[in-house]
Amino acid sequence: MIYLDYSATSPLLPCAKKAMITAMDLVGNPSALHTPGHLAMNKIEEAREEIAKLIGAKPEEILFTSGGSESNNTVTNIFAGEKVAVSAIEHPSLLESARLRCETTILPVDDTGMVHTIFSSDLRNNNNRQSETRPSLVSIMLANNEIGTINDIKKLAAEAHAAGALFHTDATQALGKIAIDVKELDVDYMTLSSHKIGGPVGIGALYIKQGAKFKPFIVGGHQERSRRAGTYQTVNIAGFGAAARYTRKQNLPNIYLKKIMPLRNQLAAEILKKVPYSSVNTPLKKNGASLLALPNILNCSFEAAEGESIQLYLDAEGDIITSTGSACASGDGKPSHVIMATKNDAEVAHSSVRFSFGPESSKEDIDAVMNYLPNIVKRLQGISTLTAGKIRKEDSYYGK
Amino acid sequence: MANNKKTAANGFLAGTDWVYTDLVKEHFLNPRNFLMGDETKYPHDAEGIVGNPICGDQMLMMIRVGKDGEKQEVITDVKWKTYGCASAIASTSALSELAKGRTLDEALNISAEEIEEYLGGLPKHKFHCSVLGHEALASAISDYRKKHATK
Repeated sequence: MIYLDYSATSPLLPCAKKAMITAMDLVGNPSALHTPGHLAMNKIEEAREEIAKLIGAKPEEILFTSGGSESNNTVTNIFAGEKVAVSAIEHPSLLESARLRCETTILPVDDTGMVHTIFSSDLRNNNNRQSETRPSLVSIMLANNEIGTINDIKKLAAEAHAAGALFHTDATQALGKIAIDVKELDVDYMTLSSHKIGGPVGIGALYIKQGAKFKPFIVGGHQERSRRAGTYQTVNIAGFGAAARYTRKQNLPNIYLKKIMPLRNQLAAEILKKVPYSSVNTPLKKNGASLLALPNILNCSFEAAEGESIQLYLDAEGDIITSTGSACASGDGKPSHVIMATKNDAEVAHSSVRFSFGPESSKEDIDAVMNYLPNIVKRLQGISTLTAGKIRKEDSYYGK
Repeated sequence: MANNKKTAANGFLAGTDWVYTDLVKEHFLNPRNFLMGDETKYPHDAEGIVGNPICGDQMLMMIRVGKDGEKQEVITDVKWKTYGCASAIASTSALSELAKGRTLDEALNISAEEIEEYLGGLPKHKFHCSVLGHEALASAISDYRKKHATK
């Protein structure tokens, strides 16, 4: 199997598995004061320290949750009923929970997924009524899960703070792929997930800057210093801690930069050269020394060829595992909101495929893709009702 | 797969390593009666197109019509093109096989359920994709009848 869907989930690291198996023998409830409880709590605190170290935080600033979605929901719940501003390309767990609970302004992005300013024109135009219109929270993801775009969080957080707002960033995809330092970025909240860095599914964390406003999302227990009720998931926490330690010790961001990014760029170049009517949705260029996108994500679109079909032909014929922004694969019948927000073209979204690499990815993986992808796309373009290269517009074609 | 009609609680088909049944997979990998390239390569009596790429899949059905022994109008050949997902490709492939040789009325009566049955089931959330080919065929038949109404 050629696995190029690391951004969806990554295989469990052997060290994480080992830590989990060891932790399975810890019988005590970590909240209990007896010896086995204390031993379990030690494991949890060790893991907390590892996660804190990975992002330059203090251990007490790390709250364990069930994953990225809960961390994002926890943040929007703190600001329930208040004004928040979130980017158009946030993960649905942030976007939908903000819309559900808060008075939400959507911050537009450019065609690469960058937020240029948190002061959208309607906020700017209301300068004299700023206290009424400015948000209490701004939330912009560190790196996007579909196209990989990295936003300038340091700049945006400073802008939010200057306007009196707190700042949250969802670092689910960025963790382990690029170096992260919460103090350097100066954010108030940060969402983290275990299974994107080779830890188990079902565990994540929320960084809460010391002193930042907080309200528990799950109530009814004193765990996590009364910030989240529910018996500690010792086994998953131990696995997450081990994966965080491995990420730091191996300096995985450096491996992504030195080994994976050239592979990703090579695949992009070969696709553009050999696959007809292909385009790249991920910003591959650098802005000076800084990356505009994660080093391990490549999102491409193929005119007139539908994404779910490309994905499933790659799977069935080449044993190549990818994902797509097509509505046909989304479950809600809508094309990727990220590609719609950046490219504003449903066909580009329906025709998109994401290749996401892990630290083990190799030249053989991209060779395999190039062995199958061009023919699959050509075949789908050949049977397509749309014409690649000269898209027939709906008004002149539909209802013929 | 012995039991490829069994639907799991999540709406996906159980018992295979794919979300689709082996038969759907087979039609997806080896679709029948599709047209590769320009429609002008395939002279046909009528056509119908439904769906649009803004909402998702689009399907074009082209039919040739002839008379059978009892002078009834029957579909003698079908070709299709799609901008569509695996489900749309497989179900339209199946439909194109089912439609050939049938009279226009019989072809109109091919139900989405019949296509689903022919394929051994489709995931529930994919049902609308199988309807697309069906609607395109109905539209092609209607196109044929309009063209021949005054003759």
